[in-house]
Amino acid sequence: MTNARVDTARPPMGLGMRSLLRADTIVMLNSKTSLVLSALLPIVILVATTFGKGQSRLGGSALIVGLALTLGLLTSCLLGFTLALAHDRDIGVLQRLRVTPAPNWMIMTSRLIVQVATNLIASVIVVIVGAIVHGLTLNVGQYLLVIAVAILGAAVFLAIGQALVGLIRSTNAISAIGRLLMIALLLLGVLGGTGILGDTIKEISDWSPVGALMTLFSDVLNQSAWSGQDTGSLLACVAYVAVFAFIGIRWFRWESR
Amino acid sequence: MSEVNMPAHPPVLDVSNLRVAYGARTVVDGVSFQIHRGEIFGLLGPNGAGKTSTLSAIEGLVKPKSGRLLVDGIDVQEEPLDAKARLGVQLQSSSFQAELTIQQIARLYGGLYGVKLSREQIGTSMRAIGLEQELGKRFKQLSGGQQQRLALFIATIHNPLLLLLDEPTAGLDPQARRGLWRRIEELRGEGNSILLTTHSMEEAQAVCDRVAIIDHGLLLTVGEPSELIDKHREDPRVLSVAHGAPTLEDVFIGLTGSEIRD
Repeated sequence: MTNARVDTARPPMGLGMRSLLRADTIVMLNSKTSLVLSALLPIVILVATTFGKGQSRLGGSALIVGLALTLGLLTSCLLGFTLALAHDRDIGVLQRLRVTPAPNWMIMTSRLIVQVATNLIASVIVVIVGAIVHGLTLNVGQYLLVIAVAILGAAVFLAIGQALVGLIRSTNAISAIGRLLMIALLLLGVLGGTGILGDTIKEISDWSPVGALMTLFSDVLNQSAWSGQDTGSLLACVAYVAVFAFIGIRWFRWESR
Repeated sequence: MSEVNMPAHPPVLDVSNLRVAYGARTVVDGVSFQIHRGEIFGLLGPNGAGKTSTLSAIEGLVKPKSGRLLVDGIDVQEEPLDAKARLGVQLQSSSFQAELTIQQIARLYGGLYGVKLSREQIGTSMRAIGLEQELGKRFKQLSGGQQQRLALFIATIHNPLLLLLDEPTAGLDPQARRGLWRRIEELRGEGNSILLTTHSMEEAQAVCDRVAIIDHGLLLTVGEPSELIDKHREDPRVLSVAHGAPTLEDVFIGLTGSEIRD
């Protein structure tokens, strides 16, 4: 304990936020699962799809890189972030933080900042690897657009994850539902998007979180002209963020009991 | 126990007609008490009596249905962050991020309370509580007694006006328990006030200046341990459970009943 009684006024926000960011960054760096989900898994997909006829079946190089980016965001946000939050709530880490003078929004914002920053770094790495192994030539503007879409994608899946952990208290249930949801979203976005499940499913797939993000990523990587489909995908993503973030914040419970 | 300086300052904690409910179930029902500067106050009660819920309301973790909570004159409900800045808290089951070392935990919580700690300061503090060899370890790698010492260090990192300890000696061996009692006495000597919950009558008598017995959300009695024994010495409920001269435990069981609570 420090010897002198500190000023009993509320401590400075800046110091509190820096302390949280430092701690959350250390936690993220020590969490191997999160790093694997963010970068290694998408890179495995990028490399695997260079063999055989994988590229053409999945719609070309740009779409594959878009798929890898989306998968990285989906798994690290929907599984990594959500499960870490649920686990910390379960064992009392969140409660311990809440009895400090740090406001609730600061505790959550710090986690979100670190998660999004990790996703951005991972996305840039995935794009660089994707460009190399799939022979894409990208300019600075495309990299910036990829980062912008990655922020949007992270926001979409973090919002969905926040809603999940807000509505469900049990960590085991969150884990199970999160995995099922991830598989469902992937199948809908990837398989549905190919059209092999019919036109109606393809229509739904294009508007699904994975489908919308893959559209945006592949159009950015292809340097396609802005289309109505892009506008629709962008609006769909914004709507997902708004709806799920509202649910996740409105019904979030800081205690698992 | 040292003398408590009651009249010179306003109460460090003023709980007035506190009522806490979870849905339709009222768990704290009109509880009122005050804690003064330099006082160690014990809240005793069986499981589910309302002790932790009372503490949770003071800590700002649950919103009371009614009543007033003032920490150093600051309304907990109106200015929760200012009130929290004056509180040190050790929860019943404190847990810190599993990926952080003790040093990193100390820096995190120091920062949250506005205390910048250098590596040397953390080392000195850890030496004082016998954890200098564990600086690079993670919380889960510590023994129960070491975890309690660290949790108490974190709770007092900003030298708070009022320290809230929720069953601080639960699960500790006698040596660790005595060590914690000594530390609580030292903290009082440094001017801290302390509110602790406990099941241990021995602990209440050893360290508390005053105790309150709570059950079914109601405050049954408040006073110095010896006062409570005198006050309830002739109570038939106490006499029926006493073996010889009534003790604080006899008063506790007499007032709260003999049935086992979950």
